[in-house]
Amino acid sequence: MNKTFDRYGSIIFAIIGVFFIVESTKISTSAYGSQVGPNIFPMGLGILLVLLSLRLFYETLRYTEAPKKETGTYQTYQTKRFVLILLCTILYAILLESLGYVISTFLFLLACFNLIEKGKWWPPVIVAAAFSGGVYFVYVDLLQGTLPGFPTWLGF
Amino acid sequence: METLTYLASGFGVALQWHNLLYALVGVIIGTAVGVLPGIGPMSGVALLIPVTSSLTSGLGPEEAAASAIILLAGVYYGAMYGGSTTSILLNTPGESSSVVTTLDGYQMAKQGRAGSALSIAAIGSFVAGIVSLIGLVFLAKPLSDVALKFGPAEYFSLMVLGLCAVSGLGGKSMTKALIMTVFGLLLATIGMDNVSGVTRFTYEIPDLYQGLEFLTIAVGLFALGEVFKTIWEGESDAKSDIKVGRVLPTKQDLKQSAAPIARGSLLGFFIGVLPGAGATIASFFSYILEEKWSKHPEKFGTGAIEGVAGPESANNAASGGAMIPLLTLGIPGSGTTAILMGALLMYNVQPGPLLFNDHPEIAWGLIASMFIGNVMLLVLNMPLVKVFAKIIETPVRYLLPSIIGISVFGVYAVQVSQFDLYLLIACGLAGYFLSKNDFPLAPLVLGLVLGPMIENNMRRALTTSNGDYMIFLEKPISLAFLIIAVLWITIPLILKMRGKKVIVSEEA
Repeated sequence: MNKTFDRYGSIIFAIIGVFFIVESTKISTSAYGSQVGPNIFPMGLGILLVLLSLRLFYETLRYTEAPKKETGTYQTYQTKRFVLILLCTILYAILLESLGYVISTFLFLLACFNLIEKGKWWPPVIVAAAFSGGVYFVYVDLLQGTLPGFPTWLGF
Repeated sequence: METLTYLASGFGVALQWHNLLYALVGVIIGTAVGVLPGIGPMSGVALLIPVTSSLTSGLGPEEAAASAIILLAGVYYGAMYGGSTTSILLNTPGESSSVVTTLDGYQMAKQGRAGSALSIAAIGSFVAGIVSLIGLVFLAKPLSDVALKFGPAEYFSLMVLGLCAVSGLGGKSMTKALIMTVFGLLLATIGMDNVSGVTRFTYEIPDLYQGLEFLTIAVGLFALGEVFKTIWEGESDAKSDIKVGRVLPTKQDLKQSAAPIARGSLLGFFIGVLPGAGATIASFFSYILEEKWSKHPEKFGTGAIEGVAGPESANNAASGGAMIPLLTLGIPGSGTTAILMGALLMYNVQPGPLLFNDHPEIAWGLIASMFIGNVMLLVLNMPLVKVFAKIIETPVRYLLPSIIGISVFGVYAVQVSQFDLYLLIACGLAGYFLSKNDFPLAPLVLGLVLGPMIENNMRRALTTSNGDYMIFLEKPISLAFLIIAVLWITIPLILKMRGKKVIVSEEA
């Protein structure tokens, strides 16, 4: 259990709850005769969420500080690798439509393969090309699906 | 007799060649998913929804739904089976319901009996699958007939019961599980209200009018979340030096495991039917039961074949049993069945009592295909066990980025929107941090799937009673559901206060 995370988590969930309560009062009530409009359900849930968050906050006050477990399975956190791959994924999402599926996927996979492990340069190139080209061929050409094609400035 | 006619027509659907192919592909992918570290049944099913929707795009709506659900269900029980392979060979369970299998399975493998353990697991899973199918066939129709008499108030209370059951048993802290449930329900309110047509919490953002897409959130939370975890925390070096050896079990093995398999199957089935208590709890109970029942309890933990046969049968029977509330009542009892339900809803098929009347070919086709799938698993797994064991050695270098690639492809192919890709990544991060801190993810998905239905039924009930909330307490069936729901939440709390250990379902 992580006291800090739980505490901030409970505060964030409480804020979300308050947000839903406040915002649900602004929903226009329904036009037809029913007394239960579209605002009741989210408002009730918002109140529940706030109450549960308070309960969690109260629980965090009573956590007995568990002794730090450093024995046995010591984990090496690879934060740098994670952040880089996360950035790659975000960049991939941004560029998918403008670069087209095949090119952006190829670049994304190639980058990630090499971020996770360094090795010979050519196997990742082959796997990335096979994945991006294969998916595009099967989905777009065989199954007639839609994926962003090649950018127009490439000329084909 | 009527049931048998329906079942026969179900076999007619399931035996069409393309559905046989889908079932085969489903169980193979499922087994691979179960074996691979990092993707469990939930992320496997979620990842494959977009793939199946593109595969079935050429079929009519009914047929497409039947084929898709046949494939996805194949992934589900294939993964339950595949999980045991890694437990036995590597001492690392592929998913939480095979944790118990490591106790005796790995010991057996160390003694050179890996082949027997694997094949007993396969046979046990097969028998369990058949037992739960027979149960499903006989319970489906009566249960859905009862459920057809429910009005909106009863439905509302039943769904509350389902949510409470999952939250009450889900994860280490009930408060956190409840928070996740409520949060899931709240997320479901975003978008166009489908009773009055009013937009809620959309703030003029066009992407939000449809609501948050269930698929994007499920793939993000489970598949991406798991990948992020492995990337950040480092992967375990999974290399097996254990030889599989002789695959067929000896007569002695079979004789010893027959009774545990039978007991495990029955126990697992009934636990699976209960919402919230899933395969993990079933396998734990079965292990405890076998140990109590055995004449040589001291052998457990040192490679007793009963300790593999019982739990493995129980977890498979439970996953079959879990289909009953999903198909007959429209209420998923676990994370994976919630995802299956989301998939059905994507095809405009509403699981529930009307499923058997409106779409009999889907309901009975699925039931029949589960039978065929179980036969396929048995036939495939006995000879191919060594091949599947090799899958574990897939280098992470290629595996992890490929899972991200498949997630992005799947979400984009179905949604064709960049907004969903950002939502996917955000959910991946949220999934990682939440599950790392014991916030269970399954209740969130369940809330997200059930949210619109709960709200609709609540408002319909309140409209008939002119806004009087007592309607939920005045109808006897509804009151009974609500009382059970309250008990489900409070009894574990009381037990915990008394210092008793409560088994929680970490499966999701």
